[in-house]
Amino acid sequence: MQTTQTEIISRVRSFIQENFLYMHSDFQLADDDRLLEKGVMDSMSIVEMISFIENEFGVQAMEDEISEANFGSLTGIARYIGDKRGVLAS
Amino acid sequence: MCGIAGIARRHSTGPSSVETLGRMAAAIRHRGPDGYGFYVGQRVGFAHVRLSIVDIAAGSQPMTNEDGQIVITYNGEIYNHPELRHELEALGHVFRTRCDTEVLVHGYEQWGVNLLQRLNGQFAFAIYDRNNETVFIARDRFGVRPLFYAQPRDAFYFGSEIKAILASGEVDAGIDPRGMDEVFTFWAARAPRTPFAGIASLEPGTYGIWKDGALWLRRYYELDYPEANAEPDDVIERLDELMLRSVGMRLRADVPVGAYLSGGLDSSITASLAASASPHILRSFSITFDDPRFDESDFQREVASDVGSIHAITAIGPNSIADSFPDVLWHTETPLLRTAAVPMYHLAKLTRDSGIKVVLTGEGADELFLGYDLFKEVQVREFCLRRPGSAWRERLLDRLYPDLMTQSRGGEFWRRFFLDAGPQRDPLFSHLPRFLLGARIKDFYAPEFRAGIGGINVMAELRASLPARFFGWSSLNKAAYLEMTTLLASYLLSSQGDRMSMAHGIEGRFPFLDHRLYEFASSLPTGSKLRGLKEKEVLRRWAARILPARIKARTKQPYRAPDAPSFFGPASPKWIGDHLSGDAIRRVGIFSASAVEGLVRRCQAGRVTGYRENQAVIGILSTQLWHHHFIEKAINVAPLPPQGASVVLDDSMSVLT
Repeated sequence: MQTTQTEIISRVRSFIQENFLYMHSDFQLADDDRLLEKGVMDSMSIVEMISFIENEFGVQAMEDEISEANFGSLTGIARYIGDKRGVLAS
Repeated sequence: MCGIAGIARRHSTGPSSVETLGRMAAAIRHRGPDGYGFYVGQRVGFAHVRLSIVDIAAGSQPMTNEDGQIVITYNGEIYNHPELRHELEALGHVFRTRCDTEVLVHGYEQWGVNLLQRLNGQFAFAIYDRNNETVFIARDRFGVRPLFYAQPRDAFYFGSEIKAILASGEVDAGIDPRGMDEVFTFWAARAPRTPFAGIASLEPGTYGIWKDGALWLRRYYELDYPEANAEPDDVIERLDELMLRSVGMRLRADVPVGAYLSGGLDSSITASLAASASPHILRSFSITFDDPRFDESDFQREVASDVGSIHAITAIGPNSIADSFPDVLWHTETPLLRTAAVPMYHLAKLTRDSGIKVVLTGEGADELFLGYDLFKEVQVREFCLRRPGSAWRERLLDRLYPDLMTQSRGGEFWRRFFLDAGPQRDPLFSHLPRFLLGARIKDFYAPEFRAGIGGINVMAELRASLPARFFGWSSLNKAAYLEMTTLLASYLLSSQGDRMSMAHGIEGRFPFLDHRLYEFASSLPTGSKLRGLKEKEVLRRWAARILPARIKARTKQPYRAPDAPSFFGPASPKWIGDHLSGDAIRRVGIFSASAVEGLVRRCQAGRVTGYRENQAVIGILSTQLWHHHFIEKAINVAPLPPQGASVVLDDSMSVLT
C-alpha cells in the first residue's frame, strides 16, 4: 500500500512528540522546523528516530545518507523515505 | 585537613552558645574525626573539627596568639610554613608548636592581610582580631578548600560546608532560583552564588573583613595569561624544578601520604614523583568499573607496578551509583548533572579504610596544560569556521570525538551541533557547546520555577563578569580561564574533590595547583601545551624522564561514570521512585511533573541514551535529593559536647577544658 507524504509526516511527528517533546506539551512542530536547531532533539535522539524510521517504514539508512538534509526536518524525512521506497520498489 | 565554622554578631549578646557551635561542628564532623574545639567569645564564636596531619600532639584549634587577641580557626595546609616560620622567628615571633596554624597567627600579626600573598597552600580560615573587632576570612587562590557564609540580621555565619551554617538553626534554608539556573548551565553555581538563597561561597583568591555587621570583600589573586611568543630554552628544566618542588612540599606531613591513580598522565606523574620522594612505600588507590567503557585498570596496574606502590582498588559495580547517590548529595550540597562524584566517594572510603589520610591527585594539569578535549574542540571549531562547508575540515571533529561521530550514526548532527553553537566573537565561544547542552535540562523546568528566575540570563552575567584583560588573550587562554573560573573550583575541586574526600576524612593535595606552576604554565605559548591535537605537549616531553612510554603517550580519556541507566534496573532502590513521583516533583516545584513522568517512562523502557535526557535524569534526581536533605527538613544533629573537646577557649584566654 502506498504511504503518502502526509501520512509519513504524521507518524514521524507522533513519534517525536511522544518521545522527545513530552516535556513541551504545547510545542507546535512545523513540517520544516529544523529538529536540532529548534532543540527538539539531540544527535542521540536522531539516532533513535532513524531506528524508528527503519522499522516503521522498512527502509535501511546508509551511513552517508544520515544527514541534515534527510533527517533534519519532518519534510526532509518524508522526502527521504519517499525517495527510498521508490528506489526499493523499482 | 579540617572543618571550620563560626558566628560573629554585631552586638554582644553574652557569650556565644557553645551548644550552637557544637551543632555546627557536628554537621561537619566527617571533615575532622580526630578532634574538635571551640572558641566562645562575647561577640564571636569559632568551631573546629580536626583531621590531624601536622604536629598531631599540639595542633588543636581554635588557636590564639600569646595574649589571646588573635584567634584562628583554619582548614588547610600551608606548604611553605617552615620557610615562613623561619622568617617570622627572625622577626622575633616565638612559636609554641610546629603547626602551620600558628604560622598563620603570627603571619597575620606581622603582615596583616598581606600575609596571603606569602602563602603557598590550600586553605580557608577565619581570624578574629579582638584588637579591632574584625573577622578576617580568606580562601586559597584556586579554591581547593571551601568557605561559605551568610549574613542574616547583621550577624555573620560561616562554615566549610553549608550544612554547618544551617545547623546553627539561625539561618534559613531556601532555594536561590538563579543559583539553580547556574547549576543547570555550568554544572555548578559560580561563586559567590550557591543553590541556597542568602548563602554565599567566598570566591577563590579572595578575602573578606567583617566588622560591625558589614562584610568587605577583596580579591588578592587574579588569574592571568601573559603568553610569551616563544618557549624558553630551559622550559624542561624549569618545569622539572617546579614539579619536584611542588610535589616535595605536598609530601610534608606527619602521616604517610598516598596517591590517587587514574591511569592517565597527570596522576601517573604525581604518583611517580611521590614514590621517588616519599620516605614510605607509596600507597596508591584507584577506581575500577565493571563496565569496560569506563575502566582504566590496565593502565593503573602498569603505573602502580612501575612506581612500586602498594596498590588498592575499589570496584564500581552496577548498583554502586544508585546506592550511594543520596549520601553523595548530602556531601555535595548541590544538584549534579553527572554521577562522576560517586566513584570518588568510594575511592575516598577505600583510602580511609586503608589507613591513609592524605593523597596526592592530578587535578589541575588539564587546566594548566590544555588537556581537555574542549580545548582541541576550540581549535577545530575555529579551523572549520574559517572555511565554512569544508567537509574535510569538519572531519577533524570525527578524530576528536570518534564515539559520537562515527559509532553513533549521528555524526553529521553532532558536527552541526558543535559548528552551529555560536559565533567566534562570543567571549564564551569555547564553552557554548557545553553550556548549551547542559542547559537542555531547563526544558524540564516547571513553568512557575522558570518564572521565578525572571529575566536573568546566567550566560549574559558570565560575559559581563569577564575582566578587561580577558579580551586580549588568545582563544585557548580564554577557554582555559573559563574552565578555571566556571568549573574547577565550583565543581571539580568541590563536588568531585573536597566534598567526596572529606566525606571520609581524606585530604587531597594537588601538586599541579601550585600557584608558581600555574604562573609558569600560563606564560607559555599555547602551542607548547596544545600542539595540533596533541594535548599537554610540554608536560609529556618532560614526563618522558619519569614515566613508562605507554603512559606518557596515552591520549587523555575523559573521566566518566555510568549515568541514567544506573538508576533504572531490577535492583533500583525504592527512593528513586519516591523522589520521582508526581507528588514529590510537584512538592519541590522545580521541575514539571508531566515532563518528569515522560522522562521516567523512557528511562524504564531503556530508551534514554542521549546526553540531554541522561543529564536530565541526574539533574532531576539530585535536585530532589538535595531538596529533601536541606530544604524540606532542618539539619538535625546532636551538638558535639564541650566535655569532649580538645580545647575550649573564651575571651579571658581561659582554657575551659
